[in-house]
Amino acid sequence: MTGRLRVVAILLTAMTVQVTVFEEIRVSGVSVELLLLVSILAGFHGGPERGAVVAFCAGLLHDTITATPMGLHALVYAPMAVATSHLEVRLARSSRPFLAVGLMVAMVIGVLSTMLVGGLFGLHGVDVERLARTALLASGMSVALAVPTSRAVRWAVTGGLPVNVDVRGSGVELRG
Amino acid sequence: MAAPQPTGRSRPTLLLVIVAALTLLTMQFRGFGPLDSFQQGMRDLLDPVRSVSESAARPVRSAWLGVFDYDDLRDRTERLEKELARMRGRQLSSEADGELLKRLMGEVGIEYAKLDTVVVRILGTPPGNSSSHTIEVDKGLDDGLAEGMAVVTGAGLVGRLEVVDRSRSIVRLATHPAFRVGVRLVGSQDEGLARGGGTSGHLVIDAGIRPDVQVAIGEVVVTSGGRSRFPADIPVGRVIDPDAGADLDREIIVEPAASLEHLSFVNVVLD
Repeated sequence: MTGRLRVVAILLTAMTVQVTVFEEIRVSGVSVELLLLVSILAGFHGGPERGAVVAFCAGLLHDTITATPMGLHALVYAPMAVATSHLEVRLARSSRPFLAVGLMVAMVIGVLSTMLVGGLFGLHGVDVERLARTALLASGMSVALAVPTSRAVRWAVTGGLPVNVDVRGSGVELRG
Repeated sequence: MAAPQPTGRSRPTLLLVIVAALTLLTMQFRGFGPLDSFQQGMRDLLDPVRSVSESAARPVRSAWLGVFDYDDLRDRTERLEKELARMRGRQLSSEADGELLKRLMGEVGIEYAKLDTVVVRILGTPPGNSSSHTIEVDKGLDDGLAEGMAVVTGAGLVGRLEVVDRSRSIVRLATHPAFRVGVRLVGSQDEGLARGGGTSGHLVIDAGIRPDVQVAIGEVVVTSGGRSRFPADIPVGRVIDPDAGADLDREIIVEPAASLEHLSFVNVVLD
């Protein structure tokens, strides 16, 4: 299976699982943000360029299933993937708990940003308490799914394609 | 030692996808039809899968509610029993009032509004975490529903249809901050524009009502009809704060007539 097909498969699977299983499992009305998790992990494993493209597509799919204006989630997910890819280089040798905390922070920022942009476009009012509760719950639940999702995303975004990392100052380009 | 950085090629890519996202957003807000159709088509494709998932999850959800939300269910039942007893008491006086109202309406030449409605079941909140004050219902285009139709209960206005797919729809509740409805104060007959008050759970009339109009607490507010998508004379609520001291920016607070929580079924008014 080619890299692109793997990405398409992972995105469609994530969309289907999000709209079925995870819509049934809500805690205080909040569900998992699987497509945001996939976007962040795509940036983490696939690098900034591939991460941005995968996250953009994930955002469009999220907009489709949630009936939000097309482009709204994509507007947040792509920068989140690029930002995470920058962190990936710094956290390359970090321990798993440290990575989990980093992922949790990225998820909270992603959920908050999405909701703030949604508020900006009149989807809902900006209620700080609700924002904080939703961000923490959604992020916590999503991070709990990080290990299997991470494996699947890594399989999809790195399958058969090299990842370019330029080490600043050394002039060396590493290929993963 | 300098921190390692990803390649500089990420910037043009990021810029490109951001521009693409903004372009799509602009097109959607300008009402570009194919985008809506694409989204609707994708949701319709997923609908059978969602239905199967909901059916499979229903017994589990019922068991969960039975075990963990038993106290809440018991409180709700007690509250409904009390409400039923009170409503039975009111029924007799309502029948008498109804007869009087019918006679008065006949005298002034106004006919009862016969609204053609479709009963829909509430499925829950729409997918995702990014919307609030919205509910999903189990009927759509196949049942004759269309965007903008009013959603009511026997008590009054609930909201309007925001997104209509083939067999599901999303209702924007009257308390949604972006909800707008033309209203009329029954006492003064002044017309204005009400908006959803968000988390306050109220509606706010902030345009159209003259500052010098006397508005009483408890005054009934109904839809104004006219150019609005909503039929006239649907009860909206009662005034709980007339904001009498205000000058130009008067904000009259209205408590919705229909309870927007614990709903199971609502009616969609067909145009």
